[in-house]
Amino acid sequence: MIELKAIRKAFNQGQPNEFWALNGIDLSIEAKKVTVLRGPSGSGKTTLLTIVGCLARPTSGRVRLAEDDISGLPERFLTGIRRSTFGFVFQQFNLVKGLSALENVMLPAFPTGRPHRELRHHAESLLDRLKLAHRREARVEWLSGGEQQRVAIARALVNDPKILIADEPTANLDTALSREFMGILESLNAEGRTVILTSHDPLVVESAAVHRVVSMRDGQLVEN
Amino acid sequence: MLFQPAIIALLLASGIAVAMLAAAAPFAVQVIRQWDIASGSERQLMLERRTYLFSTLAAFVMAVQLVALLLFVFNADRMAEMFVGAMCAVGTLNVNPYGFPALLAQMAVFFLAGAWLALNHVDTRAPDYPLVRIKYALLLILLPALLLSFGLQLKYFLGLKADVITSCCGSLFSGDAKGLAAEVAALKPLPAMVLFYGAIAVSAGLTFLHARTGQVGYAAAAASAAAFVATLVGVLSFISLYLYEHPNHHCPFCILKPEYGHQGYWLYLPLFAATAAGLGVGALQPFRRVPSLREVVPAVSKRLAQAATIGFLLVAAIATAMIAKSNLILIE
Repeated sequence: MIELKAIRKAFNQGQPNEFWALNGIDLSIEAKKVTVLRGPSGSGKTTLLTIVGCLARPTSGRVRLAEDDISGLPERFLTGIRRSTFGFVFQQFNLVKGLSALENVMLPAFPTGRPHRELRHHAESLLDRLKLAHRREARVEWLSGGEQQRVAIARALVNDPKILIADEPTANLDTALSREFMGILESLNAEGRTVILTSHDPLVVESAAVHRVVSMRDGQLVEN
Repeated sequence: MLFQPAIIALLLASGIAVAMLAAAAPFAVQVIRQWDIASGSERQLMLERRTYLFSTLAAFVMAVQLVALLLFVFNADRMAEMFVGAMCAVGTLNVNPYGFPALLAQMAVFFLAGAWLALNHVDTRAPDYPLVRIKYALLLILLPALLLSFGLQLKYFLGLKADVITSCCGSLFSGDAKGLAAEVAALKPLPAMVLFYGAIAVSAGLTFLHARTGQVGYAAAAASAAAFVATLVGVLSFISLYLYEHPNHHCPFCILKPEYGHQGYWLYLPLFAATAAGLGVGALQPFRRVPSLREVVPAVSKRLAQAATIGFLLVAAIATAMIAKSNLILIE
């Protein structure tokens, strides 16, 4: 479903501190599976994840999503794809402080023009499913780490994306919460969603919910 | 004379346009020669990223040129009081030999810019940059046109001398004068009216038909150009006479003056907008079968055609209103 071909990504290109975060990645990521990108810090897994999710463009190479080249799309089309195809759960969650959990979940759906009442109902059902219905009016900064992550997951799901992307999702969670997160992922995958994660947490990598682990080092795939 | 706000604005707009397009020219050449959407090379991806910047830049330049024409005409009219013998913009434009060529060049740039903006608009609505090469090739063609326009404006504005005694519109547009304008002005009102209303009817009809069916795109564009010429002929031949309520005053510029309530702007603005929209329809037609533009071109083209229809009908309505409220009787 997602095909990466000869992906290279440089930061500060042409400068003395030029750094190649990715150096020739060829990878196919299967649809409706859970794939983990594993590697040490600086191996390029987050950079690769941002390229897959259209948050960044490669310096060279192409990304195909269901046969469509998405790496070369003009920005107006990328915005639509990001909004409708991908849901993102960031390592630091990136929730908007001062807004309630419910408002945070609804936020990515506002540009779609979906009727407010319908959107609110959908957001509430997502929070309910993630056992956060009682905290929906609470400001996000008042929530615990595990609750914040579940709000982030609900927000990633609000536009009903086919692909869920999570960057180091268990980095800030204890063992119990990490297990709970993997359980949520498993259920989302069972619904037919593709899940792509980065992690070096053994609890994630060795989880039964994971179908494939792709190892990276120094911007290249180590094994596939 | 150079230090008039409008002249400074016009020269800046024109000069910056030339500078921006000249700066974009090497990139345009690179796009034309090296663009390969199938490639994932570093160079191709760099071209794809930069094309946003350059297209935005060029669109800004073109949009400024649309406004510059209005400012040019307004400025020529407003400066008439500075020259002995000048009654309106004609006198100002006649101060030296570069006035009318500068106006004509600005008009040409106006329509070329309109067509380029239409192409750019549809290109940005397709996911695969289908017109990118054509767009940048046209930019290279537009560069000399802009350069010529800038050069003529510069020569014209530098050559504006307050001690020059210029000729007024009466000498240029009277039936006794020589030249194309005078010959057009000498045209009898009735055939000119038939030409004007006929051309407007045909252009409004064809653009309306295109807006409804998507057919006759080229014919609608050709009719729009013809209606533009026919309207200018009509202004010279009879519309101006009715407006001035004077059987021998044919000037197409005095109608812009406050004495006549700036009515000329009501006529010219929809005329230029409708013509640019009509020509835009024609500019898009060659690309209606490009796979990624099969839905985009007809939709944009129809909207342009609708704008052209409304514009031409407005021109006819405004001209008719001018005639209807006039006390002059030209046709018994």
